[in-house]
Amino acid sequence: MDIAHGTLVWLAKSFGLFYLIGLSLIVVIYACWPSNRQKFDRAATAILEEEDRPWQ
Amino acid sequence: MFGLHYRLERKAIGLVLGIMLVASIGGIVEIAPLFTIHQTVEDVPDMRVYTPLEVAGRNIYIREGCYACHSQMIRTLRDEVERYGPYSLAVESKYDHPMLWGSKRTGPDLARIGGKYSDEWHVAHLMDPRAVVPESVMPSYGWLARSDLRTDNLGRHLKALRTVGVPYTDEMIASASADAYGQTAPDTNFAAGVAKRYGEATNIRPFGATPNGGLTEMDALVAYLQILGRLTDAAHRPVGG
Amino acid sequence: MIAELTKNERNGALVILAVLTVVGLVMAVAGYADPFGIHGGLVAIAALAGIFAVISGYFAPEPTLARFGEYYDTPSKIGIGLAMAWAVFGLFVGDWVAWLLAYPNATFDAGWSSFGRLRPVHTTGVIFGFGGNALIATSFHVMQRTCRARLPDQLTPLFVLFGYNLFCILAVTGYLMGLTQSKEYAEPEWYVDLWLVVVWVTYLVLYLRLLARRREPHIYVANWYYLAFIVVVAMLHVVNNLAVPISFYEAKSYSLFSGVQDAMTEWWYGHNAVAFFLTSGFLGMMYYYLPKRAGRPIFSYRMSIVSFWGITFFYMWAGSHHLHYTALPQWVQTLGMTFSLMLLIPSWGSAGNALLTLNGAWGRVRDDATLRFMMVAAVFYGLTTFEGSFMAIRSVNSLSHYTDWTIGHVHAGALGWVAMITFGSIYALVPWLWKREGMYSPRAVEVHFWLALGGTLVYVLAMWNSGIIQGLMWRTYNDSGTLAYSFVDSVVAMRPYYIARAIGGLMFLLGAIVGSWNIWMTVRMPAPVPADAGGDQPAIALQAGE
Repeated sequence: MDIAHGTLVWLAKSFGLFYLIGLSLIVVIYACWPSNRQKFDRAATAILEEEDRPWQ
Repeated sequence: MFGLHYRLERKAIGLVLGIMLVASIGGIVEIAPLFTIHQTVEDVPDMRVYTPLEVAGRNIYIREGCYACHSQMIRTLRDEVERYGPYSLAVESKYDHPMLWGSKRTGPDLARIGGKYSDEWHVAHLMDPRAVVPESVMPSYGWLARSDLRTDNLGRHLKALRTVGVPYTDEMIASASADAYGQTAPDTNFAAGVAKRYGEATNIRPFGATPNGGLTEMDALVAYLQILGRLTDAAHRPVGG
Repeated sequence: MIAELTKNERNGALVILAVLTVVGLVMAVAGYADPFGIHGGLVAIAALAGIFAVISGYFAPEPTLARFGEYYDTPSKIGIGLAMAWAVFGLFVGDWVAWLLAYPNATFDAGWSSFGRLRPVHTTGVIFGFGGNALIATSFHVMQRTCRARLPDQLTPLFVLFGYNLFCILAVTGYLMGLTQSKEYAEPEWYVDLWLVVVWVTYLVLYLRLLARRREPHIYVANWYYLAFIVVVAMLHVVNNLAVPISFYEAKSYSLFSGVQDAMTEWWYGHNAVAFFLTSGFLGMMYYYLPKRAGRPIFSYRMSIVSFWGITFFYMWAGSHHLHYTALPQWVQTLGMTFSLMLLIPSWGSAGNALLTLNGAWGRVRDDATLRFMMVAAVFYGLTTFEGSFMAIRSVNSLSHYTDWTIGHVHAGALGWVAMITFGSIYALVPWLWKREGMYSPRAVEVHFWLALGGTLVYVLAMWNSGIIQGLMWRTYNDSGTLAYSFVDSVVAMRPYYIARAIGGLMFLLGAIVGSWNIWMTVRMPAPVPADAGGDQPAIALQAGE
């Protein structure tokens, strides 16, 4: 393999942190995005509806 | 209708790809650099490969699930080093496909068991552990001494091992079955061949309780146990030496 | 079952089974000198039995179009039955090997009956047999309901279910014959692994086809967890099982990886099998059946999404905590430990979310053993993930690793969380699927609950004690600076705990037997409302009205 061990280790240690922060931000923003709120509320309650047939 | 359908499908595929992307990062970061690790681990010229008999013994160790109760990995802790010997180095298991580091010690670690006890002790212990260690909870493996060792396909075993990176030569592969016998028959031409191919340090002796019978699985297992921790002396050398 | 298949599907089933029969026969002939041949025979027999079943129902009338007005629940029903059968089998073998540690002479002087071969039979039986079947059965149920759409066809889900069980049977019979890769929780040999890939890809495609058919634009979060379970298990399975067989007519293979790379790959797999097989899929179960049974929406839908991505991301890094103080480079160990600690956040997010959903319905938890199963599962999930993060700390791990503490931790998760949420979900699901008022005997559910909880506590406490004693004995020095105890001293000290553990396991097994009986009686109970069989098969064409 051409890639040096040191380079890979360095990349793993540094890039991982930024990736972690970036990903966390995206997820939190998605989860808290105001227009998603209605969708989520509906999804949470929709499963409780008692009807046992597929929608046609 | 088709448009909606398409959008829904795209969403599901997107979710799958998202999961794959997010989930693969951790593995890539931790595993990929290990494949370049040979650049940092010092080369150990005296590292030997397992003989065909030892490979067969190792496969019995695997088959019987010995790894479920015995580890082969001495950690860098004072009490472990004092109990079992020098801590295990990465290079020592570099020909172990797969590794048998284990995860549980219902019985003691076996990384350096080789040479610690006599062949007779191992045979007696495997036949009936409680005859040797009264408090032991190990199952007895008496039937191993009654089972003939299959040697006709050892060449294929070595060949597969070479495919995954163990440096077996064509000669080793061709004479694998004969070498399995030769290792238990000192002072024969077969034995001389084993020593030539696998090094003078190879254990060549009848390992089991049946010196004049055919090869048994017991012989192979004991041969494997006696080589554990002895493929290289690297761990016994002073650090940096 | 066959009557529910269309003519085309019956033909398709025959083609698949014929191919499988041929493959099995070829395996049997080519591998006659090897256990590989026995497995070939087994495959051929299973496929022939399938052909017989299809032919015996081949000339039944085809299902009418009315089927599209119903969900397709037959695979879920069969899957629940198989899950319970595997549970009893796997728990029985587990308890057997537990007694072997107290009475090591109780073997039959044969290979198949020794601890080393039976132990993977236990782990595979409970994880893949019980857990896997429960996941497949509930995933079919949950995804149809949350998508408001019927499974795309009748054959594929049955193929996935039966194909998966063939995998389990090949795995378990292989261990008894001594066929194993020795990779923990990935023991089956190369050809069994290849078969699982076929089944698993079909499962994933089936899931995606159903998602594409859905009438509900938003994909409910339970499906995300099921999807992560399917996708990531596929990734893990393929990478960890890369191996070179010694020939195409022998069972033995050699792992592509060796030494330190193999150790890291194996525990990357092993830990994420815990994450995506034993956690993600079962969280999917929890996020559907718990709100449904409690009659309350999940406390925070947002939190469930954040937890989802947290678990999917963090878990993948944590595997190296299985290799503290080993020859694995230290930076990898440190990464593993750090992420294991961070993992606590999404894990407690899920556990807290479940418990807060129940907040305000504690009266029902008190009265309803089914809901209590789920509540206790969430509590054990929280406790076990905390314990897991704790044990991933290097200094704690130096004591706990290699000891029974690990076994205690695993069983707190497997019995307390995985099995409890599964039993709770099954008790909720069985009356819905078979259109019954409730379980045959609510008191038997109550008995099962206390046996399960009691058994888990006895088991886990015994293993905590033995593990910590073991770990301390191994590292205790006497005044002269030498090790105070020989290894065998620690073995002697374990004996009472091994007996206690076997008793705890026995209680849990008895609970599962009671549960299986109760489910069987519920299925046999007459349906309360006469069926309105609108031209469809009676088994599935019952009125939806509750």
